[in-house]
Amino acid sequence: MSKRRIDDGDQTSPYERSAKRVRPNKVDRLSSLSDELLLRTLSFLRTSDLVVCERLSRRLKLMASDGQIWKAHYYDRFVRPRASRIPGIKSQRDSAGSLFYSSRISRWLNDEKLVQEGALTDWKRQYKLRHNWSRGSAHITETEVAERPSSPPLLVRLHGDIMFIADDQHGLRAFSMKGKCRLLATYPPTSSAGPTVMAVDSGPNAYGEVRLAVGFLDGSFAVYALGKAKAAFSHCYTHPASTMGSLSAVAFSFPYLLTMNQEPRLSLYIFDRDDETEKSSALKAPRLLSSLKSQTAYAPLSLSLRISNEVISASIAFTKPFYGSRWTVGVQELRLSTDGTMLGSRVASAGSGVQSNLQRLAPYQAAASHMLHVLSVPSTRPASLSYNHPYLLTAHPNNTLTLYVVTSTNEDLIISPGTILWGHSSSISVAHVGDRGKAVSISTKGNELRVWELEGRGPSTLRRRPPPEQSSVRVFPSADGAFSKQIPNLDLVEMGKTEEVAKGWITFDEEKVVLLQEKRHGAQAVVVYDFT
Amino acid sequence: MSTAQTTIKLQSSDGAEIVVEREVAERSVLIKNMMEDIGEQAMTEAIPIPNVNEAVLNKVIEWCNHHRADPPTANDEDADSRKKTTDIEEWDQKFMQVDQEMLFEIILAANYLDIKALLDVGCKTVANMIKGKSPEEIRKTFNIQNDFTPEEEDQIRRENEWAEE
Repeated sequence: MSKRRIDDGDQTSPYERSAKRVRPNKVDRLSSLSDELLLRTLSFLRTSDLVVCERLSRRLKLMASDGQIWKAHYYDRFVRPRASRIPGIKSQRDSAGSLFYSSRISRWLNDEKLVQEGALTDWKRQYKLRHNWSRGSAHITETEVAERPSSPPLLVRLHGDIMFIADDQHGLRAFSMKGKCRLLATYPPTSSAGPTVMAVDSGPNAYGEVRLAVGFLDGSFAVYALGKAKAAFSHCYTHPASTMGSLSAVAFSFPYLLTMNQEPRLSLYIFDRDDETEKSSALKAPRLLSSLKSQTAYAPLSLSLRISNEVISASIAFTKPFYGSRWTVGVQELRLSTDGTMLGSRVASAGSGVQSNLQRLAPYQAAASHMLHVLSVPSTRPASLSYNHPYLLTAHPNNTLTLYVVTSTNEDLIISPGTILWGHSSSISVAHVGDRGKAVSISTKGNELRVWELEGRGPSTLRRRPPPEQSSVRVFPSADGAFSKQIPNLDLVEMGKTEEVAKGWITFDEEKVVLLQEKRHGAQAVVVYDFT
Repeated sequence: MSTAQTTIKLQSSDGAEIVVEREVAERSVLIKNMMEDIGEQAMTEAIPIPNVNEAVLNKVIEWCNHHRADPPTANDEDADSRKKTTDIEEWDQKFMQVDQEMLFEIILAANYLDIKALLDVGCKTVANMIKGKSPEEIRKTFNIQNDFTPEEEDQIRRENEWAEE
């Protein structure tokens, strides 16, 4: 048997045929190479060949799935193209060569976390994740979370492997998203007022708990913590109800909490960090750092908190009418020092210069500058707005998205004119900007989910804009049929006929997109697109 | 540094002495460093290259001779910055049309003698023999023993389906 193989081997190898002395090739010289030389050889292969090599033998599997090789491919495919796209990074490079992958000098942009985690990072897995995103290929699972629609609509947020759901029927629930969707913990509704907004704190508290803030119809808000070891909610704090209406938006980055109510009034609170050192996760009443009546801000709107070394930027992105029939976006930003001293407040509108409270343009001047950008101003009121600095994205019923890039420096707050993104073939209900300039949008009927790369797509880089067909990827179930196995008789295209997406939200992280669907009979289902 | 002496002698593992121009021999970082260490006076004796036989050493010297005028490669181990391509220039392709034994001997010699450009040409040549082939074709080419059960191999294939083209 092995003899036959050798003969065949000689026939298939042009290298040996061309040599004068053809000798039986008994030795496996490839596998005899040292790890270092074998890795060096494999480093010249494409990923499609690497996975073939994994099937050859145990030794080659180990070598071909080596982290350093996949890390290089990850960099080549997902980091370097971004580095050359992001304005500012390109001009920094000293020579053309420095953007090639190098373990020492390369810029990993937002992937630095992966690099710092060092040996813990499974580079092949990370590569696969990004690959699936870029192809729009995902496993899709569906879990029913409520029997009937709730009022106000059910809220969902993702935090790592945990999905938080709040509604008036079940209160607050946490689901594990590892593998099958599984209920972890419940906190029953505390009052008759239903939850209107929810935000999860990005970092864990001192006990490794995940904190989240929920705002209610009566204007109150509460902070809860989900234990890590013991999967249960603990109640940290409840803020009394307000006469100024229900909360319409909230942002949470401990110790800061930013709320917006119906008035509309923007309030920034700070919790006492010392509370963390005490035994329980309970928090004392927060101090109100700043509160101001906002400009006329129309929904949809989005709050965000950015904390840098010196400055807390609390901002609200909102839509506003523009020449009667058109709509544009604005951002109001409060800047405070970390001790709570107000540094200033400023407002900007898309396409216009800064309108800080110091140098406010006369209305007609502002109008004139707006005039220049009138063509890029959408004529329909956006269905949703999402702001994750520096990207501000609005979704429109006319199948388009509009992308604005916000520049916020110590001196200026500027919103670029809008850039229209095409790709959807039907009305869009929700769009959401995540980290790394990635955005996800879903059509009103729920039958079209698209993933967008926003980087390099602002107006200043218009020339480098890829052709329209490359600008987004439509998500389809993965090729192995997992989709049809898990949800029989359901097809992406068919979905629109039987189901409707509940308007209002969509959420995603590095690995998943989660969206809510309302079935015809009113049941609420969570649909998870898993890209791992 | 005197440039008066332009040839040196190398002794292969099987005892052959080969006279080679110093500039050519110094494509090898190992030899270059050795020359700097032992100094001019020791150059009358042949430098032993214990890991490389005469046939392979001649082949390596042939390569070094052809590439004697190449700009020096970056000395630091910045191997990552080389372009991930298996393109090989035409002369090198012809040079590498040897039997598999010689091919791997060249790789080992280039590694030992620290001639990075030659090592890359060798590794790329092997990579090209793998590219686009099925596992069975690759096993035949290199006589690799399959130590997976069919089930195990199929499992690996399925796990990697996403990366296929």
